[in-house]
Amino acid sequence: MNALNLSRRQWLASSAGLLAAASLPAWAQTPAKVGPAHIVIIGGGVGGATAAKYLKLFDPTLKVTVIEKNRIYIRPYGSSEVLNQHSSMDDLNVSYDALRSNYGVNFVFDTVTGFDPIARTVQTAGKQKISYDRLIVSPGIQLMYSAYAGYSEQVANTAVPSGWIPGAQTALLARQLQGMRQGGTFVLAAPPNPYRCPPGPYERPALMTEWFMKHNPTAKVIIVDPKDSFVTDETMMLGWNRLYNFNLPDDYVKKMRDKVEIKQHAGTSMISWVRGKDGGRTLRIDAKKMTIETEAEVIKADVINVIPPMKAGQLAMTLGLADASGWCPVNRRTFASTLQPNVHVIGDACIADAMPKSGFSANSQAKVLAYTLIEELAGRPAPEPLWENTCYALAGKDYGLFVADVFKVIDGKIGRVNTRARYLALDAMPAQIKLGARYQQAWLRTFTQDCFA
Amino acid sequence: MTQNLYKNLNVAARNTLLALFAGGLALLSYAANESASNKPLVLTGIAKVAPDKGAISGELMAHSCAGCHGTLGRLGDESFVPLAGMPVGQFVSSMVAFRDGKRPATLMGHVAQGFSDAEIRAMGEFFAAVKTEGNQP
Amino acid sequence: MNTPILKSRAFALVATGLLAVWAHGASAAQPAPATPQQASSPPAPHAPQTETKAWTPSTLRQTLSSLPKGDAALGQKVHDQLFCASCHGAKGVAPTQNWPHLAGQKAAYTAKMLLDYQSGLRREGQRAALMHDIAVMMTPQQIADVSAFYALQAAPQDDGTPRPTPQKAPKDFEAAQLARKGDPARLLTPCASCHGVAGQGGNREASALAGQNPLYFVRTLLDYQSGLRANDSAKGMRIFAKKLTRTEIEALATYYADLPAGKAVNAR
Repeated sequence: MNALNLSRRQWLASSAGLLAAASLPAWAQTPAKVGPAHIVIIGGGVGGATAAKYLKLFDPTLKVTVIEKNRIYIRPYGSSEVLNQHSSMDDLNVSYDALRSNYGVNFVFDTVTGFDPIARTVQTAGKQKISYDRLIVSPGIQLMYSAYAGYSEQVANTAVPSGWIPGAQTALLARQLQGMRQGGTFVLAAPPNPYRCPPGPYERPALMTEWFMKHNPTAKVIIVDPKDSFVTDETMMLGWNRLYNFNLPDDYVKKMRDKVEIKQHAGTSMISWVRGKDGGRTLRIDAKKMTIETEAEVIKADVINVIPPMKAGQLAMTLGLADASGWCPVNRRTFASTLQPNVHVIGDACIADAMPKSGFSANSQAKVLAYTLIEELAGRPAPEPLWENTCYALAGKDYGLFVADVFKVIDGKIGRVNTRARYLALDAMPAQIKLGARYQQAWLRTFTQDCFA
Repeated sequence: MTQNLYKNLNVAARNTLLALFAGGLALLSYAANESASNKPLVLTGIAKVAPDKGAISGELMAHSCAGCHGTLGRLGDESFVPLAGMPVGQFVSSMVAFRDGKRPATLMGHVAQGFSDAEIRAMGEFFAAVKTEGNQP
Repeated sequence: MNTPILKSRAFALVATGLLAVWAHGASAAQPAPATPQQASSPPAPHAPQTETKAWTPSTLRQTLSSLPKGDAALGQKVHDQLFCASCHGAKGVAPTQNWPHLAGQKAAYTAKMLLDYQSGLRREGQRAALMHDIAVMMTPQQIADVSAFYALQAAPQDDGTPRPTPQKAPKDFEAAQLARKGDPARLLTPCASCHGVAGQGGNREASALAGQNPLYFVRTLLDYQSGLRANDSAKGMRIFAKKLTRTEIEALATYYADLPAGKAVNAR
């Protein structure tokens, strides 16, 4: 043993001691892992994009790579406004360029075929093998077309569109609705719980009713529903009562009439809602005959829009992140998968207790996760989290309503903090309602900026 | 080879090396102390808001506002109010007025009900420290 | 030269540590990107397409004199029903710097603004577009009433909005000078000649300025300067604003924000 080697070992020993006492991050103690961490994010939707941006916002030295199969993002929020000609299909396109140039996020346009959670690598269809220090998966949803006899992706692409994942089906549905014969019938099959965008299946037929009242005044709009209620039901249907001569079901009138005047309209409204208890559950679609069979009846329609049951995107299954329910269980604080090591799942695909499946929730979860990962990489404990979901929805172009919640971890689950109220007040003033509709439009812009720019 | 090199250094040079190394270690341990868990959390480098034990970081909460009020509270020409650079007093009194129903709003009353006084203050301190480039005046 | 010390683990540790500390410090100090790209996003709502005729002094006088007499008590009801307080404050003093104070404003000016929002003549951005959507809900009586209501409210004093602190450029005139004497070389009449010696408003429905929110003041003059705001009679404010520098505008904003609002008298 020469003197120098001993000295160097002593130096190293003492410095290691100093380092240990100072709680240096892991990378400083293992020289093989020198340099900024590489975070890989699978999925470039709201959850993935927001996570990428905020990781780089918090620490620009991080390497962040998003693996996404589509080069352009088509936003689902606000996509129903293509149907009533308020927006165009082009308006739904969101570019990834801003994330690249403003934040230096890397993009790999490819499909993930598998991963090795121990070796921390991801494999793609394009034969790439990408290593990561941390992995975030935000795979969105997949639609279970075959839950209804006679329905399939092929049928949805050609005759009975869904459009719950926007794209060509949205454009098809818009053409069908705008070209529907005078006096035709539009049926929308609402999905069972859980599904993404709780007020969405009711906002869509409401906007179409408003459009039909101008362009197709003898049309009929029928919502068939396996459920008996939905998030924002009172405020949404109060809007229909005021705008479309809709009569609310008796049980709703009973619980609401002390707080607000509910008109009883003579005659029938253009729009009707067939609830689960009245046989509204869908059984079968016949695309050739253009009929939809529910428990109660067979309805012949001119346009049928089906929002089928859904579950986590297929990638969640491929990577073993989903459980028997079809959704991804996660740790409530860190959103780390409880099924696979070293991977976090956010957005529609994950099980987040009281948080609705929505873009806003995905955006909120992504930011908290980005924050949490920075802490984790620095060797600090996971922060106490807080999330929000504040979503506007429309009963008509000038009729805005909303759900607004703040969430924390309460007794080990994610629960609402604001227990007093979550919806627009029933006695809201007309100006408040119109402002809500304008804020909804503003929110479409500001939200897109926060996720993608 | 190395030991020969070291031996060949004169005392002054050795001392300089030692000093540099010690200085480096000191810097490292300073950095580590700054990032130990009991120190304020600074992610964007904007505002040091030290949460109480178990409390939620003001910055973490503030980012939940960005979907409407802009990333870091910076907003251009929009009907929502920019929060970047807002004086703490205005932020706090606005949120409290929303929470108490004294100021009319569409959904801000509901949102404000989700936060305690301390949480509102923590968010306000974060936004007050954000520079306003990017806000319209 | 063989420099094994550079290859030693200890050196790597120190160097990396130093780099990390420097990188953290550097990244913390990074400014926001200068011109961030926008995400392609939903289209802004349409600005009203009406070919709205610009005011002339006589059409303006005619319209304002044909408005019904305003009742401030009824105006309070309009203020409640139309949700004005959510942006402009319970008594017309805006709670944050995003919107103008209306308290103590000349009734004729407030009424003109509502008519301009209604017709689309004033449409300088998203906030004006929102005001259009509110204003179209108003009858002439309601416009007169709510304007009377605000005129009677106590004008703002020290609203807590941070004042701009411009670096005075060498050629800049002092704000007080511009306000009282103007600048003959630039054909700038004193602000006071229209807006009053105490900023209380005056000539031809020129607005009260005393105590106004300074950030709104700056935004307004910049919008006149660029022509984005175009509801001024005979382009008076647009021509005027073009002759001012940015730093003069900011100095004027602070000057008027600090003017004792108590001196402003604005019943009509």
